[in-house]
Amino acid sequence: MISRARGGRRLLRIAAAWCVAVLWAFPLLYMLLTSFKAEADAVPPSLWLAHPTLQNYEIVLQQQILRYLEDSAIISVATVAICILVGVPTSYVIVFGRLKKADNLFFWFLSTTLLPPVAMIIPVFLLFRVLGLLDTLGGMILIFSGVNIPIVIWMIRAFLLDVPREILESADLDGASRLRSFFSTIVPLCRQGIVSIGLLVFIFVWNEFFYSINLTYVNAAPVPVYMAGFMTQEGLFWAKLSAISTLVILPPSILGWFAQRSLVKGLTAGSVKG
Amino acid sequence: MAVITQAPILVTIGLSLVQWIVVRPDLGVTFVGLNNYIDILVTRDFYAVVLNTALITLISLAACTVLGILFGLMLNQDFPGVSIVRTLVISPFFVMDAVAGIIWRTMMLNSSFGFNESLASLLGIKPVDFFGVYSLLTIIILIVWQWTPFFVLIMLAGFRSISVEISDSARVDGAGWWRELLSIRLPIIMNHIEVAILLGMIFVLKVFGLIFVTTRGGPGYSSANLPFYVFRLAFLGWDVGHAAALAMVTVAITLAAIFVLFRWFRQRFAEASS
Repeated sequence: MISRARGGRRLLRIAAAWCVAVLWAFPLLYMLLTSFKAEADAVPPSLWLAHPTLQNYEIVLQQQILRYLEDSAIISVATVAICILVGVPTSYVIVFGRLKKADNLFFWFLSTTLLPPVAMIIPVFLLFRVLGLLDTLGGMILIFSGVNIPIVIWMIRAFLLDVPREILESADLDGASRLRSFFSTIVPLCRQGIVSIGLLVFIFVWNEFFYSINLTYVNAAPVPVYMAGFMTQEGLFWAKLSAISTLVILPPSILGWFAQRSLVKGLTAGSVKG
Repeated sequence: MAVITQAPILVTIGLSLVQWIVVRPDLGVTFVGLNNYIDILVTRDFYAVVLNTALITLISLAACTVLGILFGLMLNQDFPGVSIVRTLVISPFFVMDAVAGIIWRTMMLNSSFGFNESLASLLGIKPVDFFGVYSLLTIIILIVWQWTPFFVLIMLAGFRSISVEISDSARVDGAGWWRELLSIRLPIIMNHIEVAILLGMIFVLKVFGLIFVTTRGGPGYSSANLPFYVFRLAFLGWDVGHAAALAMVTVAITLAAIFVLFRWFRQRFAEASS
C-alpha cells in the first residue's frame, strides 16, 4: 500500500515537472508552432495546427534577413576568435606568472564589465563617429571584443586554477619554455573550458542589443537591430514574425545546449562548485 | 590596458560637466560644473526611474531566487525525460532580448489578439493592460522569465554538490522534507544562492533591450529603468551633458548596490563560519 501511494506521488511529481517546463517554455513552443501556420491562421491564438506550411520560412529567407544574419555571424565569430586569442594567454600570465597583486588585476578587468554599458556609450559613440567606425563591422567587432575580453580573462581563470601546479612544474623541469608548456599542457587541459567560454561569448555577442542598436543603422546592423525594426514594421504578421524569430534564436540555443555542462562554471567564474 | 578599459568612464565624467546638446549647435559646448547633476536631482522623473529600477531589481531577483530553488529541486531528481524538462526550462536564457520582447508583446500579452485576450474572454474578464497601467509588471515578468534559468542552473549545481548521505542521514533523524530543505540543504547551497543573486543583480541593473522592444519605458517613464533613461536623454534628446551626468549617477548607484550586497554576504559568511 505504502509503495503504491509513493509511486502515485512520484508520478504526480513527474507530471508536475513536465507541466512547469512546458509552461515556462510555452512562449517559445508556441512561437515554433505559429511559424508553421498560414498567416491567416495565426490570429486568434490557437494550439491547433490546421494547415502546416513552410511558406513563412520561404518568405522570410528571401528578405534582407540573410544580410543581417551574415553580419551577426561575422561579428560574433570574429569577436570570439579575438577574445579567446587575447583573453586566454592574458589570464594564463596573470594566474601563473609571478605577478604582484594578481587578484587586483582580475578585479580591475572585471570592474569594466560590472557597470552598465550606459557609462561608456556616449564616449564610444563620439569616438566611433570621429573615427568613422559607426555602423561598420570592424567597429562592432572592436567594441564587443573590448567588452568580452575581460569576461574571458575572468572566466577562464577558474579553469586555469584547476590545472595542477605540479604538471606545470614538471614541464618546467623538462626544460619546456613557458610558451611551449602553454600550448602543450594548458590548452589541451583547459580545452573544454575554452570551448564553452567561446560558445558563451558567441551567445552574448549574437544576442547583444544595447551597443548594436546605438552603434549601427543599416550597413553593419546585426540581427537584434533587424528584429527591433521588424517588430515596428510588420509586428502583426505573426506567422512570419515567428518563423524569423525561430531562425535567429536557433544558433545560440543549439550552442547553449552544447555548452550547458560547463555553463555554471563559466558563468560564475568558478565561484561556486558546479 | 588598465587605462584603456577605464578611459571611457573618465570621458563620461568629463562630459557630465559640460552643456552640450548636439542638435543645438548654436548653444555650443560650455563648462557648467555640477549643474547637470543638480538638474537631474531636482527632476521628479529621476526619482520615478530610480524607484522603478529598485522595484524591478528587488522583485525580479526575489522571484528568480525562489523559482530557481524550486525548479532546481525539481530538476535534481531522476525521472523519464528530465533532460528534456531541463532544456525546456533553461531555453529562455539563450533567447535574445529582441525576440523575447517580441513574442511576449505580440502573441502572449497583446490585449486585442494575444493569449491575454483569449484567456480573459474565457474567464469573462477584461484583458489586462500590460502595456499601460501594468507596464512595470510586464518588464518584471519578462526579466523573471529570462533570468530564472540562470538561477536554476546555479541552484541545480548546488543541490548536486550535496552528498546523498547528508540528506539521507537527515531523513533517518526523522526530518520532514521541508525541515530538511530549510535547515540542511538551503544552508549548504547558500554560497550558490549568493553568487546567483550577486551576478543576477549585475545583469538586471543593465536591462535595456527588453524595455526597448516592449514598452519603450512608457507610458511616460512608468517602466523605464536607469539605463533606459540615459538612452532617452542621450540618443533621443541628444543632450550629452545631462545624459553623461545621469550615466555617472547610474554607475554610482550600481556600484553602491553591488558593494552593499557583497559586504552583506561577506559579513554573513564570516558570522556563519566563526
